[in-house]
Amino acid sequence: MPNIRVLRDIKARHGVQANEIARRAYLYVARNQALPPQVRHQAQLQLNTFGRYTRPTTVKNRCTETGRGRGIMSEFGLCRFQFRLKALKGELNGVHKASW
Amino acid sequence: MAAVMPSRLAALTRLRCSIFQTSYNPTGVRTGAKYLRARLRGPSMLKYYPPEINLAQIARKYPELEIVDEVEEQRLQDVEDRKKRGKGAPKKAKTKADSRRNQRKR
Repeated sequence: MPNIRVLRDIKARHGVQANEIARRAYLYVARNQALPPQVRHQAQLQLNTFGRYTRPTTVKNRCTETGRGRGIMSEFGLCRFQFRLKALKGELNGVHKASW
Repeated sequence: MAAVMPSRLAALTRLRCSIFQTSYNPTGVRTGAKYLRARLRGPSMLKYYPPEINLAQIARKYPELEIVDEVEEQRLQDVEDRKKRGKGAPKKAKTKADSRRNQRKR
């Protein structure tokens, strides 16, 4: 069972996915210098009404094993300790302990 | 080497834009096109965590299978045991006075 932070992150991912197209449309209007300032301002105000879990910056890659938020190896989606455990067990292809 | 007229250069750029189907924007005005051009990131974001089997959901959907969620059973048992020892959660305050009384005890 994932912990609450992972569940919240999953919620954010679903929210981003559901609202992405609408957000992009508003972003296009708000950032388009060719449009009248009033329209752009209205679009910006609309962007501000979106909830917390619709922004892509809310999403954080957490450890897929433990849910830890820091020290994540993004190639494997694991935190540094889980990475070490799995690498030593030989579950990560192409990873082995350095020795010379 | 003779200098090229600026108007000729502009015409060249316009022609290049028409050939390669890009928009002619000599002053570099921000059109917001990059927000439409960028790929959608939502679908790949959803794939980050491996799918998890939700035992409680399955048990609710198919009650005839009689699935027992052992972790949940253990949790309920623990709550019962704690209640017997008088360590359960306090009763919900019905009135404002109740909630104030609880605050003072702490």
